[in-house]
Order: sequence, then structure tokens, then C-alpha cells
Amino acid sequence: MPTEQPKAEEVTYLDAISQALAAEMERDENVFILGEDVGQFGGAFKVTKGFLERFGARRVIDTPIAETGFTGMAAGAALNGLRPVVEYQFADFISQAFDQIINVLARHHYRTGVPMPVTLRCPFGPRLRAGPTHSQSIESYFAHVPGLKIVAPATVEDAGGLLLSAIRDNNPVLFLESKYLYRRLKVPAPLELQPVPLGAARVVREGTDVTLVSYSVGVQQGLEAAEALGKEGISVEVIDIRTLVPLDLDTIVASVTKTARAVVLHEAARRMGYGTEIAAEIGEACFWSLDAPVTRIAGRNTPIPTSPPLEDAVTPQTADVIETLRRVARA
Amino acid sequence: MAAAGKAKPRRKGRAASAPDVEADRALCLRMFRTMALQRAVEDRMVTMYRQGEMLGSVFTGHWHEGIAVGAAAAIRPDDYLCPIHRDMGAHLWRGMPVAQILDSFLGKEPGTTHGRDGTLHYGRHDLRIYNLPSHVPDNYPVATGAALAFKYRGEDRLALAYCGDGATGNGNFHEALNIAAVMDLPCIFIVENNQYAYSTPLRLTTRGEIVDKAVGYGMPGVKVDGTDVLAVYRATATAAVRARAGQGPTLIEAVTMRMHGHAEHDPFDYVPRELLAAWAKRDPVELFAKKLRELGHAAAADIAAIREDAHRQALEARRKALAGPLPDPAGVEEGVYAD
Repeated sequence: MPTEQPKAEEVTYLDAISQALAAEMERDENVFILGEDVGQFGGAFKVTKGFLERFGARRVIDTPIAETGFTGMAAGAALNGLRPVVEYQFADFISQAFDQIINVLARHHYRTGVPMPVTLRCPFGPRLRAGPTHSQSIESYFAHVPGLKIVAPATVEDAGGLLLSAIRDNNPVLFLESKYLYRRLKVPAPLELQPVPLGAARVVREGTDVTLVSYSVGVQQGLEAAEALGKEGISVEVIDIRTLVPLDLDTIVASVTKTARAVVLHEAARRMGYGTEIAAEIGEACFWSLDAPVTRIAGRNTPIPTSPPLEDAVTPQTADVIETLRRVARA
Repeated sequence: MAAAGKAKPRRKGRAASAPDVEADRALCLRMFRTMALQRAVEDRMVTMYRQGEMLGSVFTGHWHEGIAVGAAAAIRPDDYLCPIHRDMGAHLWRGMPVAQILDSFLGKEPGTTHGRDGTLHYGRHDLRIYNLPSHVPDNYPVATGAALAFKYRGEDRLALAYCGDGATGNGNFHEALNIAAVMDLPCIFIVENNQYAYSTPLRLTTRGEIVDKAVGYGMPGVKVDGTDVLAVYRATATAAVRARAGQGPTLIEAVTMRMHGHAEHDPFDYVPRELLAAWAKRDPVELFAKKLRELGHAAAADIAAIREDAHRQALEARRKALAGPLPDPAGVEEGVYAD
């Protein structure tokens, strides 16, 4: 993954999120952003830089440090005609809003038939040396809860396009933004913003020997690994699921039926990580097609430590991905 | 539209005084009919519970009728209402049919959630009543969001949320009050202080006065006798004028007693009987009946007729609800997500 600073003629993963949010706020007067430091400071990661000047304090709301309070506030606003976008400064802090998300947002439509259009933006994941409470992958906590959708873009185009769809969706959508990709991933400007449907996986690289299923950072890592293995004559098909809920199982099953081998990759801890669910679905759907056990590559079952050698030791590295794919492809 | 957060809130001068509720005979009689109906329906529900007709829990609001109805009556039908399980009268005030309330306790298809939720969870969006989860006071932050939406669009509507004394120990309560205060949101927060959080007495959950929590958030706090529907009405009406004028939220502590268990399975033997005996003399329905006679709004015969009619409505609703269909499990996976 490239690491140099973006140039003006480039659009980063972060820029795409910012542009998509601004575009939706321009398009729909009922869309607004709230969260800690999103106003005059422009957000901790600067996703909302310039928004206060552009949209005013009515639609760019700096909140107190009160995740349960402002998440419930978003719910009440959504029930009364608005389409709130909530920024959690770090995904780690969403634990303080757990109750509101699960008991208020996620089940309101099932209980009452009334839509709850709230987008929950979460900068998430490791690799920034930010330590055990600023690096977490939170998707599994929420994937268990009926009523939530979960989106985790892996590319600049999807970061923008999936956010457009998340905001337009009539359900609570957890939008997981990779902090690591924010400024590392970029495409030439200008970015054509197009809504990307929720629930549609994408085959990002075609291959014949083994299927790698991933999302977010794992997709970029998978592409690097596939490139390296291609030189060894191993053909890796890389699937970006893009949305965890709803999951496009058909695309995964079609690929694994073809390659007969599947590896699932994510940064979240291995035990009960989302890869466990994907592996189980592949096992049920593709049992008679498989030539090797479905294999998971995931974070270790530890908190994310701060110091570089420690964090690297618990977080999947590209070398690990290459080695596992090679082993499964040759099994 | 005043800016939220850092900007200076809009002020429209002093809040006007609340209207003279006592002089409005029609309003007083409608409030009394609603309180009497809540009492009659809840008494019927207790009987149904003891007869084994209910699915599970039955929650009642005996001695909370003046708070439920007094507050709901003091705001407009287009305001957003976030009641709890003691506030059947607030639902009735907004036009919720009694049978539909019983449907919820019976898991019946005609209930507001068609059997997906039950018991006290029967709020109706079209009546602008939030259907809360079991987690009180999760409805407090939701009320701030409704208020935010009204302010966002420049409407003069407000949101009113109730909770109990026990819920004031929860973070949702404090975060909602703080947010509403700093954003000058048109909110009214009512705490129904009924002395007990399930089995735990107030002295183990709250140091000092609940109403004084308002001071910490920079909003007015008002303590009223929760058995006096007119006092609750006046306090709420005053808070509503403030809220609509852009002057922000108000906290109202309405003091009463929970005269039944937390729910009907609960014998509430932890409550001293002499305490109950003292509060028994302060039945808000009886107190308001007496007041209506003193004001010349109703004769004893009128009061008796209203209570008899409430009793008859409860019986009719019971018959209708028991005869209603149960939901079809064929559709049980539908509607987890909105289209």
C-alpha cells in the first residue's frame, strides 16, 4: 500500500468519505452530521473540515462527549423526519452507545414498522500504534444484532459510493472507515461519486486456484498477496464483500465452487470474528466442492498492543496472507 | 433557527404565564375522564392478570394518573411524547384505543406492534408517541432528537419525556439533560418520583433532591405534587411556553407513590404498610373528583357516571381484545429491515 502524502490532484479514501457526505448534505436538507469535534475543528481525522463554514451550525453539530446521548438523539431525529449521520471519533467509543444502538435503533423497525435512517460512521481498526482502546475492530459485536446493516469499504470509490447508499438507506447503517486507509489509499482526481448498492460483493481480482474473501484493509492486503503469488503461478481470486450485513453469499459461493479453496481474512480478532461466520456459510454451501478446509487469517485473540513489534505480531501481515494462501492453494 | 452548540441561543423574551386550567371546565372534565379510564383499565388488567388471562407482566400506574394525564394534556397533539410504563393516561389522552393497549398485553395481532413487542411497549408513531424499549430512560435521548428535528425545521413543537426516580441514576438521563440544555432544545423532562426503583427505595439511589439535578445542567427545575393533576398541568404548561419560545428544557419532579408492585408479580412486601396507608389518602383520581365538585365543574352524580363509563369501557375492551386474533408466524422474519 502506498504511503506518501496525497497530492492535490489525488483523492484519498478520506476525501471520498468527506465528498460523499457533503454531496448528500447538498442533495438532501434533512441530512446532517453530529459528533464530537465535527464542527469548528473539522473532526479528529478532518472528514468534516470546512463543513461548519459550508453548512452552518444547524447541520454540523458539535456534541458533548455523550455517545449514548447523541446516538439516542439521532434516533429521535430520524423518527421525526431527519437523516442523521453520527461520527464516533474512534470506533472504540461506540461501546458507550451500545444500548441505544441495540435497543433503540436496531429493532425499532421490526417492533413498529417505522424506519430508522441513521448512519453511524466509525473510524476503526489497527496499524496506527494507537493501542488497545483506539484500534478496535467492532464489527462482530454488531453483526450479531438483527436490524443493523454493516458496511466496510476497501477502496476510494467504494468509500464514497457506499456512504451515499448508507445515508440513503432507511435503516441504521454502521459505516466502518479504515483509519489506516484514510490517507494511504488514493486515486486521481476528480472522483466520480456513484452510489454503490449495499449487499453486493465484488470480485476485485479474478483467479482460479484459491478464493480470498475479505473487506476493508484485508482486500488491499489480499491484492498485494495475489500479485506476489501470481509470480509463483498461484492464481488468487479476491472478493471484497463490501457489506458484512447484508452479506452477498452468492458471489462467495460461486467463486469457492470454482476454486474449491477458500481463505477468509480480517484484522478483527479470530475468535467469533466475522470470518467465522463467512467460513461457516462457505462450509454449509460448498462442502462437496472444497479441496481444503476453509481457513481464517485474523488478528490474534488479544487486545491490540501499542508498540510496533507487538501490534505487528497480533495483526495480519501481508507475509502471513501470502504464506496461508500458498499453503491452502497447494493443499 | 438558532445555531446549535456554540452559537448564542435565540431568546424571545420572558415566557408567558400558563393558561388558567381550573377555569376550563371542558379541559378539566376530559382530564378527569382520562384519569378515571386509566384507573379502570388498570384495575381490569390486574384482575385479568390474576385470572391468568395475560401473557406475562402487567405494569400499572396507580397514583401516577395525574402525572401521565396532566403533562400530556398541557402540550399539543403535534408534540412528541415519550411515556413510560406508568403513563397509560398519556396514551389515552392522545386517542389510543383501550382494546389496543390490552392487545399488547395479550400478544394479539391488532396491537400496535402486531405481537412483535408486548406489555407496555405500545407507543404509536401516528399519534406521535414513542414506543420505548424496556431500558428506561432510553426515551430521554430520543426526546432530545425529536426536539432537535423540530428546532432544525423551525417548528414550535416540543418533546416531552417521562421517567422514574430510579432512571435518574442512568447515564441516558444525564446525557440527555446536558445535551438538551447546551443546545437549548424544546424539551420537557418529567421524573415521576414514586419512591421506589423496583424494590430499591429512593434513599439508596439518590442523595439530595431529584429536582436539584436541573441546577447542574443549567435548566429550571420544578417540584410538584404528582397527585395533583392541576399542579402537573401548570408546571408542564409553563415549561411548554419556555420551550416554544426557544428558552430550552425544563426538569419537573412530580412526587407520588407507587401503590402496586413494580409489576403485578411483585408483592412489594418491601414497602412499609404504614407508608402505603398514608399515601392511600392521596388518590389523585379521588382528589381531582373532589376538586371538580368544589369548582362546580361536576356533581357527585357526574363523577359517578364518568367512573361507571370507564369501568364499562374497560370491560368492553377486554372482550374485544380477548376475541382478537393472534399473529401469523409466517411473517415473523419480515420487517427486520425497512425497504
